[in-house]
Amino acid sequence: MNAVTPTGPVLPAPVGLLAELTHRCPLRCPYCSNPLELDRRSGELDTATWQRVLTEAAGLGVLHVHLSGGEPTARNDIVEITETCAKLGLYSNLITSGVGGALAKLDALYDVGLDHVQLSVQGVDAANAEKIGGLKNAQPQKLAFAERVTQLGLPLTLNSVIHRGNIHEVEGFIDLAVKLGAKRLEVAHTQYYGWAYVNRPALMPDKAQVDRSIRIVEAARERLKGQLVIDLVVPDYYAKYPKACAGGWGRKLMNVTPAGKVLPCHAAETIKQLEFWYVTDHSLGDIWANSPAFTAYRGTDWMQEPCRSCDRREKDWGGCRCQALALAGDAAATDPACSLSPLHAKVRELATEEAAETPPDYVYRTIGSNADRAVRSPLTEEAPQ
Amino acid sequence: MTAPFPTPKTEDAQRLLGPDEIEAALRDIGARRYHNLHPFHRLLHDGKLNKDQVRAWALNRYYYQAMIPVKDAAVLARMEDASLRRVWRQRIVDHDGDAPGDGGIERWLKLAEGVGFERAYVESTQGILSATRFSVDAYVHFVKERSLLEAIASSLTEMFSPTIISERVAGMLKNYDFITKDTLAYFDKRLTQAPRDAEFAIDYVKQHATTPELQRKAMAALTFKCNVLWTQLDALYFAYVAPGMIPPDAWTPGTGLVPEVTQAAGTGTIGATDVPRLPRGVRLRHDEVRGQHVLLAPERTFDLDGNAVAVLSLVDGRRTVRDIAGVLAETYAADRAVIEVDVLAMLNDLATKRVLER
Repeated sequence: MNAVTPTGPVLPAPVGLLAELTHRCPLRCPYCSNPLELDRRSGELDTATWQRVLTEAAGLGVLHVHLSGGEPTARNDIVEITETCAKLGLYSNLITSGVGGALAKLDALYDVGLDHVQLSVQGVDAANAEKIGGLKNAQPQKLAFAERVTQLGLPLTLNSVIHRGNIHEVEGFIDLAVKLGAKRLEVAHTQYYGWAYVNRPALMPDKAQVDRSIRIVEAARERLKGQLVIDLVVPDYYAKYPKACAGGWGRKLMNVTPAGKVLPCHAAETIKQLEFWYVTDHSLGDIWANSPAFTAYRGTDWMQEPCRSCDRREKDWGGCRCQALALAGDAAATDPACSLSPLHAKVRELATEEAAETPPDYVYRTIGSNADRAVRSPLTEEAPQ
Repeated sequence: MTAPFPTPKTEDAQRLLGPDEIEAALRDIGARRYHNLHPFHRLLHDGKLNKDQVRAWALNRYYYQAMIPVKDAAVLARMEDASLRRVWRQRIVDHDGDAPGDGGIERWLKLAEGVGFERAYVESTQGILSATRFSVDAYVHFVKERSLLEAIASSLTEMFSPTIISERVAGMLKNYDFITKDTLAYFDKRLTQAPRDAEFAIDYVKQHATTPELQRKAMAALTFKCNVLWTQLDALYFAYVAPGMIPPDAWTPGTGLVPEVTQAAGTGTIGATDVPRLPRGVRLRHDEVRGQHVLLAPERTFDLDGNAVAVLSLVDGRRTVRDIAGVLAETYAADRAVIEVDVLAMLNDLATKRVLER
């Protein structure tokens, strides 16, 4: 056997592709993970390009494709794209609002081999849900959609993004998931990027509410063991350690925007100095290995203290770069959600203050010029003025 | 080729034996060839067999029991004397009973059920060893084709059965906690029936084996019958004790059993007799890039080790957990019961994660 001396760490293959097929969406959720500057329909990739991207993804080692948006069923070619996934052996996950044309296309998606549906639910009480989603009559459409999903025998996951406007409904979400025959429920506390960052004061729950929601989920997990799997995403600002954003920068996930820009995570565009490559200019494999945006924070070489010497550095990979930029003013800083960050106490304090105030009205997601909405001063180690 | 049977001694072979001598010669055959001497029976009676080995014995032996009235009807059909038939027909009644739920076959089914079998599976005889079938069928053919004297002489193993039955009942009750007195009800009756039958048969042989040649034929018939019984135990030993070579299509531990009541620890608990399946949205796939198998499921990927792949490859929506464990036990020449425990643990873990159903 030839001795091989490795010259560097082996680049892991990506496992997931988040395909943001379009930014168009009938809902206007104030915590939407899409960027503030939404792509317009005219700039969206065409069918053939998506099919090429999917083929390249399969070749790279991607296993799961998350067909997302916006509302992915707003694309006329959603069935063709899903069929391409099936033919390539890619696991297709439709992340949908269930409104608009979603139900009309569901049977065709099933027929071409769709693997899984993740349906968003904004609330349990219809009026509350429709206020959050910003669309009247959305709830009955969602329920009808969910019913058809389970009727077809497709696995259904309900995704509920939790914030102060619906945190009182956590039990209700669990009951709804059971009633609809979902196999999974995501109780995902809002992550404060993109639109959620803009709306943070309107969304931030207090610590007692968060703790209560966690207790409810833990009890339900025990009670519904083997019937419903509940995934809980706790809110960063109240956590002890940050989450490994997207499983670590450039380690597991690629995100392709409607216009074909490839991001290490869906919020990465907020880091303005990064250079992103497009699928229209480069192959997916080239982008994964070489695009400056992917190499910038891959691994641990870029880290500062306390991350650099932390024994958790390969567990959470320093947390979220976008959050580090937004809160600490430096994308290479330790995520202030981490209790080891010098800013962590400030983050807690900020969350507690915002949660105590009367929530402002939502700034609903709209297509247009919104970049200035996110302007906020980063936290400093001194008390904010 | 004729079977060498050492009784009577060479110098006696040409001589007509007296009534006591012929009985002694016949008893001598049993003393050396009856299946109570077989290693399998020794293991059975001494409590050295495991439950599945006892099951294999009960299952195979059922075919013998079930064919006994067929054999006796064949003998009966050759009897032209009504007084003989009146005596012989009692054997059929003993085995078949006068009504459903009665008789020796029924009691044997009770025994098979007592060790865990589904009655219908036992009655189907689909799981018996070919050697069992060949031996028993040879016995039936023998009584049809040979003389009535030989047919009757072949039944003389009953002279030896009370001993074996006493040993068996005492040994099995003592050594197996899954054997009850009820399970062994079959043998209670045989303790009285067998001597009565044997007495008639030995008298018949003494009376009708009137030449040295006929006496030798009677002894050969009994030897043949001893071999019918012995061969069945050879096959059981070979398949289920050592080397444990179960022929294709023969019963494998776990099949044909009444589902054991498995207490659900939570909803969706999978038991040994459940049929697991991967639901829509869960796929076993080979990941060429990483050179491994993965289980793709909603929002997650399970990396699978070789054992998990071996199990999940057999999850086809038709096999029970027990079937799967059986296939693996054969493939890896391992103990099925041990494998079954591991398979159940793995599948229940996946069921709890909602990526496996039954």
